[in-house]
Formats: sequence, C-alpha cells, structure tokens
Amino acid sequence: MNKRRTNLFIVAAASMMLASCTVNDNSPGLEFMPDMYRSPAVEAYVDYGMDPYNFSDSLAVSQRNHPSARKPVAGTIPYGAQSELSYAMPYSYPNTTEGYEASAANRSPLIHNQENVDKGKEIYDRMCIHCHGKKGAGDGTISANGFILGIPAYDGKLADLPEGKMYHTLTFGKGLMGSHASQLSSKERWEVIEYVKVLQNGGKLVEGNAPATEEVEVAEIVEEVIEEIHAPAAH
Amino acid sequence: MNRVPFGRCKSRFRATILLSILLVFSTSVLKAGIFDEGDAANGQVLFNANCASCHKVDESVLAAPGLGGIAERWGSSEEMLVKWIMNPNGAIESGDPYIKSLISQYEGSFGIMTPQPVSEDQIKDIFAYIANPPPPPGDPEDTVACPTIHDNDDEVSSAAGIWFLIIGILFLIIALSAAGANRSLKNASLESQGKEPLPNVSYTTLVMQWMSRNKAFVSVIGLFAVCYFVTVSYIGAMGIGVYEGYEPEQPIWFSHAVHNCENEIDCEYCHHSARKGRHAGIPSTNVCMNCHKGIKKGSKTGTEEINKIYAAIGFDPSTGAYKEDHVEDPIKWVKVHNLPDHVFFSHSQHVEVGGLDCRNCHGPVETFISGRISPVEETNAQNIPGLIELSKPTLTMGWCIECHNKAEIDLQSSDYYIEMHDRMKSNERGQEELRAILDDGKATVKELGGWECAKCHY
Repeated sequence: MNKRRTNLFIVAAASMMLASCTVNDNSPGLEFMPDMYRSPAVEAYVDYGMDPYNFSDSLAVSQRNHPSARKPVAGTIPYGAQSELSYAMPYSYPNTTEGYEASAANRSPLIHNQENVDKGKEIYDRMCIHCHGKKGAGDGTISANGFILGIPAYDGKLADLPEGKMYHTLTFGKGLMGSHASQLSSKERWEVIEYVKVLQNGGKLVEGNAPATEEVEVAEIVEEVIEEIHAPAAH
Repeated sequence: MNRVPFGRCKSRFRATILLSILLVFSTSVLKAGIFDEGDAANGQVLFNANCASCHKVDESVLAAPGLGGIAERWGSSEEMLVKWIMNPNGAIESGDPYIKSLISQYEGSFGIMTPQPVSEDQIKDIFAYIANPPPPPGDPEDTVACPTIHDNDDEVSSAAGIWFLIIGILFLIIALSAAGANRSLKNASLESQGKEPLPNVSYTTLVMQWMSRNKAFVSVIGLFAVCYFVTVSYIGAMGIGVYEGYEPEQPIWFSHAVHNCENEIDCEYCHHSARKGRHAGIPSTNVCMNCHKGIKKGSKTGTEEINKIYAAIGFDPSTGAYKEDHVEDPIKWVKVHNLPDHVFFSHSQHVEVGGLDCRNCHGPVETFISGRISPVEETNAQNIPGLIELSKPTLTMGWCIECHNKAEIDLQSSDYYIEMHDRMKSNERGQEELRAILDDGKATVKELGGWECAKCHY
C-alpha cells in the first residue's frame, strides 16, 4: 500500500512538472544570473517595490515604490549639448490668459530659413501630424476617426496666430491641446513653429532674421505675478 | 437758456420710441429663431468645424462646458448669446450680469472663448443641431484593418496538453486499480481452490520482471526516451536568457494596435526620448493626457482603462479639471525589454545616428497589444525598407553582434563620419586602414569597432 502511494506521488509530481511547461506570457522565462537582470543598482523604469529578488534591504526607502513614468520636475533643465542649453532658459510668460495674450510679443530665436523649416517638418511629422494633419488643416487621423473634432486649420482660423502664442500653447497647452514641453525641448518647439508658419503661409517660407525678443511686457507681467504671490503674505 | 426747445425734445422722444420698437422687434425676430429654427445638418458641419474642439453637444465637459440644454440654461438675452459667440470680449465689456457670473464661475478652469467666425443664421443652425444631436453611435465598426497577433491566437495547443495529462493520469489510476482488483480476484480464486495466495511482490519488482522478459523492447523504448530527454533539455537550455514572446500583463490594458495602427500616432510621440537618450522612454501620464483629456471613452474598453489614467494623474472627467493637491501616483508599467547590468545600449545611437526604423528590432509593434519582445521570425517577416534580417533570438548577444556584422554605415551620413573619413584619407596609415575596411565596398558597424567588447560591456 505504501509503495502504491509513492508511485502515485511520483506520477503527480511528474505531471505537475510537465504542466508547468505551458507558455506563460507573464514570465520572462529562465534567466542565467538573474541578479544581473534585476540588480540592486537603480535602473530606469523598474519598480523596486515589486523586486522579486528581495534586494530591498539594500535600497533606500525613497527609491522604492517610485518607479518609471513621471513628469519632469518643474524647472528641469535638460542635460545635453551647449547648443541646446542656450534655448533652455526659463520661460517668463505665466500660464494665464494674460500671459497668453502677452506672449504674442515673444519672438523666435531661430533664423527663418529652409534648414530650420526642414528640421521642424521632421518633428511635425512625428509629434503633430496625427491631430493637425499632413498640411495642418486639422484633419489628422485622430480627427478623421472622430475622436477629437474641430481642430482649427493653420491657414484658416489660425492664419494670423503669432509665433509667440504658438510657443506659449506648445509650452502650456490650450483648450484640448496639452503641454508638449515634456516631449519637445525649447529648441525643438521653435523649430516646429518654423514649419507651422510655412503651413500658415500656404506652404511658402518667409525668410528673414528673427527680431530681438521684446522683454518689457514680460517683465511687467512677471512683476505683477510676483506682487500677487506676495500680497496675501503682507496682510 | 436751459430750456430745451419743444420741437427737439419731441424728435428725440420719437427717436427713442422708434428705437425701442426696433429693438423689441429685432429681439422678437431672434427669439423666434435662435433655438427653434435652423438647419441641423448644416449646424452639425459648423459645430464640428468651430465648436467641437472645446464643446460637446451633451452636458459633458470637454475643454469648456457642454452645450446640452443651453436653451434652458442661458440666463441672459439671446442677443447677448449671439454677441458672446461672435465677440466674447465685447460681451464681457458690456457688463451683463449673467456673463459676469459665467466668467467668475469658470475662470481658472477654462480660458475665454475666442471669437467665432459664424453669422447669426449659422448660429441658429448650430443651436438646431445642439437641440437635436444625433443618437450616440453604437459599437464602432472596425473600419480600419488593424489585425493584432492575438486575433488568431490558438490557446488550443496548451489546453490540449493539459487534457492529455489529465487523461493520462486517469488512465494510470484506472490501470493501477484494475491491476489491484485483478490481484485480489486471483488471490480469492486461488484461496477458494485451496492453493497458496500469490507472493506479496511490489509493482517495482513486477515491472523489473517484465523488463527482464522483454529486453529488446525495453532497450528500444529506453533509447527513444534518452533521445527525447536530451533534446528537451537542450531546447530548454537554449531558452535560458531568451525573452522572445515575453509579454507581461500591464497595469493598464494599452493597445499599440489602436494607437499606432488605427490612429497612426508615431512611436516617438510617446517614446519621445528615443532620439535623445539611452532609453526610448515610457511616457509619463501627462503625455497620455495630451489626447485623453478629450478622449474619455476608448473604442475597445470603454471608460474602464482610461479612468485608470485619470486616477493616476488626478483628473476628474466629469468636470474636465485636474484635482488640486493631488500627488501623482505613477502608473507602474512592467519593464519588458530588460538587459542585464553589464550591457550598455543606447537608443539614440541606433535611432538618431544609425537611422534605424523602430520595427527593425521591435518587430511589428502595430499588431501588438501591450509591450512584447518580438520573436526574430516575426521581425524578419515584415516588409519594411532596409530591414536587416537576423537569425539569433531577439535581445541575445548573438542577435546584437549578428546585426553589427551585417549593418552598413554610410560614411557621409554624419559630420562625425565625414570628419573621420577625411582624417583617415589624409595620412598613409589611415589610407591603409580605410582600404582594409572598404575592401568589400562597404563599411559595417563591426569594421568600425562594433565588435569591440568595451563598446557594449564596461
């Protein structure tokens, strides 16, 4: 009787082993030296709260449960080449209705030439085309599929939109359009605006050098905002 | 001196009466039309072109309050509504108390409406459309052909395996009990005949006895069994560290097919650091919100999955506003493409410098649901220009160096290569090296140091 039970046990164990061979999409499969794949060294996009190898003892508590996808901290300046950095100065127009109106005075630091337009087109085709459409008529795939309607055309309703307002919208978002500041660097935003201006103008480039930035109005608005912030503290 | 001549006063009086009659008349004309008459079909076209980017026809909020029930809700005169649409700033300046209350109610949540280039008649059409919006569409038909790898998934194979096992175990149990019953019956019959019962031997002994009787059969079966187990363990060992087909369940049912194939959103819209950094980047929740602030209902999963984004970022879809003082609760996406610590890989080197298509390594992502490691056969089966076909499993070292051996570099493609090319041409030793590299008419990644250990391991 005892022998029989042993035999049954062997059969059960064998069948369990065989059953474990089925495909499981959730499992990465066998790993050689798993500690090299899931190491205590902090890697991007790894959730250390779910660390299967229990390295948590060696990790600072602040690292745990703080994985992956987060919005960059406000005021983050990109790490990169000097040429990018010169465009990474803080943006001085506030995210208010007045700030939007005042941003019309802001001017692009780029020279309006074909090279910048081409760079802008490359970015436009990646970042804007699915909503705004190939020629900026507001007829992108998302609009055609009926998800977001009424996207204004660059050469229609937005034909007179100044570049400063475009930059403001790209930075803070407006209406249904969200902020693209976390996806596009300041320089890339200005480059894509170069191409949008060509679309505004029916596909023709208006060449010329960029005029200097008008800082006066900005300074006034910034002062106002600072006053507003400090006003309650004075009472 | 301060007496007003009677005649002038009279004429002014007359003018006032006339004006007021005119005003009353004009308002009554408007009253008869603005919410009642109008061409709803034309209104729909106008609404979609001018209003739909911020307003909805029902009462839900998009980037501005919904317009459903506006006729009952509007607390001012109808000309004021027309004025508000055609010239919002003018309407504010007129000091109308209802407009003032609107501004104070929504200030901060939404911006002030831009003037709309529509005429009074067109406004009538738009309100006719808002009053009678078309019934919401039922299940959207799949007009776009975007098949996913899961469409022709057959779970049958693994299910069949399990059934085979269960039947096998049942058969074994039946066989064992039958053998037991057979033994007891034999013993009973032997006992009734007055003979000695069978000796109490174990199954193992019985099997051993049977095996010694059928040596030829047993050795053939044994040979097959050994071959089988060697093959199985070889295949198993070759699968160690191979991630092909790894597709972990993600916290949100996100479909690459819906985003990339049906709506043609570029990979780099969400994975926007592919050109700039080592990681292609998992989009932060604010990137999701660039579209999902307006798109609150998915075509496949309705509101269930999209609400998880709202919960993470603290967005209230009914008011269309972000919750104040909400600490973002990041979505814990499960990392799919995981390289060991001793391997360096940079997306920007491959995408920006190398100019590779994402699909060259990641396979037909437009057919995937969640993130998945594309098996090399699926990657090779694609029809994309410049695809480098490989044979080793995806994400193994063999796969990396096979591609580095095959991939060609255009020496005029970047300033760095042009500079290096010129420098090599300028002296004799450089020319010799250049000749060795270009002996077959092309420069591969391997020839420019792509097989140096320290390129990837450091």
